[in-house]
Amino acid sequence: MSIRVLKSSATKTHLRLPRCERAREREKMRLIVHNMLSCNIRGVVNKFPLRIEPEKVIVKEVDFNPDFLKHMIAKIDWKALVDGARSMGYPELPDHPPTTLESDESFLRKFHHSLLELNLEEGSLVCPETGRKFSVNKGIPNMLLHEDEV
Amino acid sequence: MILDVLRTIRARNLQSFGFYSVGSSRMRDIKVKADPREVLTSSDEEEEAVQVIESVSIRENEVSSSSLSVKSTPEIEKKYVHRVYDAIAPHFSSTRFAKWPKVAAFLESLPSGSVILDAGCGNGKYLGLNPSCFFIGCDISHPLIKICSDKGQEVLVADAVNLPYREEFGDAAISIAVLHHLSTENRRKKAIEELVRVVKPGGFVLITVWAAEQEDTSLLTKWTPLSAKYVEEWVGPGSPMNSPRVRNNPFFSLESIPETEVSTKEQKAENSPFIGLESIPESEESTKEHKGESIIPETKSSIVEQKDEKSVQDSLEALKKSQQEYFVPWHLPYHRAEVSGASASALASGLAKKDDRKGAVVYNRYYHVFSEGELERLASGVGNAMIVDRFYDKSNWCIVLQKAALNQD
Repeated sequence: MSIRVLKSSATKTHLRLPRCERAREREKMRLIVHNMLSCNIRGVVNKFPLRIEPEKVIVKEVDFNPDFLKHMIAKIDWKALVDGARSMGYPELPDHPPTTLESDESFLRKFHHSLLELNLEEGSLVCPETGRKFSVNKGIPNMLLHEDEV
Repeated sequence: MILDVLRTIRARNLQSFGFYSVGSSRMRDIKVKADPREVLTSSDEEEEAVQVIESVSIRENEVSSSSLSVKSTPEIEKKYVHRVYDAIAPHFSSTRFAKWPKVAAFLESLPSGSVILDAGCGNGKYLGLNPSCFFIGCDISHPLIKICSDKGQEVLVADAVNLPYREEFGDAAISIAVLHHLSTENRRKKAIEELVRVVKPGGFVLITVWAAEQEDTSLLTKWTPLSAKYVEEWVGPGSPMNSPRVRNNPFFSLESIPETEVSTKEQKAENSPFIGLESIPESEESTKEHKGESIIPETKSSIVEQKDEKSVQDSLEALKKSQQEYFVPWHLPYHRAEVSGASASALASGLAKKDDRKGAVVYNRYYHVFSEGELERLASGVGNAMIVDRFYDKSNWCIVLQKAALNQD
């Protein structure tokens, strides 16, 4: 398990920021993207999900949009999301989504927080089969392969 | 400035939906010497080219086409696409702000909450265009992706020919002015397959590429057809590069970009919103073009032996008519070039040239322009997708695909 360092700037952004400041801040990689990323090295079978080795995680508030969340439930690989959130320091997400989403706002809030508010600014995404690390710098994952990996 | 206004509006709109979009696509590097072979798209022609260019020194590991996966980046793309965009990224981005109405209409037609994947998003012009959707962009150029990221978009660095996305996650995907930078037909087809793979069943894919049939034919005079490069590589027995006739003939030299028509029009052309829409002309079918280009080396060597320059010119003229491979110049103003150190090394290595008259470093970008029907032909080879719309707009060929729904075969 790698070391996760929550820098002081991360703590600050956890507080509610004025709208204009939120607009100017750069987005980092969030679990909604992580849930889609897979290792595309030639021949790899067990390519998803990528294990997250965080070095810097920032929590950034995002407006709550239940319709979007319900749309995403169908797409999301739940286990990948739960594990990803846990590795980013948020263990509150239940192991399974409830059957009736509409009435469960507390669940939706946790889902929202996991999917959209946990930002990986620095760290690695690790292929489950090969251990190959894809780096995330300044919130940008680099998924390019080397010549011998294609 | 318009950009700032748009950014504020977009940011405000995004706030209400609580998400940001990201994009990036990178293209891989290619070794220069492999240029001629890489541009010939079918493996047959590559084999032909291999025999012909045996006398030209090319490293063995570059020769065999079968050893190169379709996902490996050919040299011509590394040198004339990736490196160029990396070097010109901020300047390029500043000229890319006009939103193409057809693309905007496509994006705005998508249902609220859609996850839209932009493969080859460049400076992120379209990311977040529909504020009710969630955009994820990728590009192979890290400098361009950084520009997207600074705008608050959710982006990553990846290769459009090998998207790091699992199947069927996206609701829609777009590829705007990207495929024409891929130098082989197999790679272009692979990129289309990737776009279809990553969208859900029933999802839509919009692809636009520069057309061979340009509305503004004067643009063609600014471009260097690739055939000139072939000639430089293949003409003459022994060491073609050292042939004085080749070297002294400006037409034969790839590096000399026709500067005679340098004018304010050209500058305007690069900076105007219209050019921001990016279009390329080419009217011949690709089969004709391939045949034409594979013939070049053989014709050239026999002609050179007879020292018949006129026939050389004639062949090249004929080639021009079926020309689909071009180097399109990009003028990077000196004050922009200094910002990134890339231009210094580009000039040193011959990748770029200085134009003191215009005060710019001139780069060449590789393009394979699409002839009429070519994009459709490529797309119809993708099994589980249907063409639902096709059109020509502002010198671009465009196509909309729909991935087969689950209950269809």
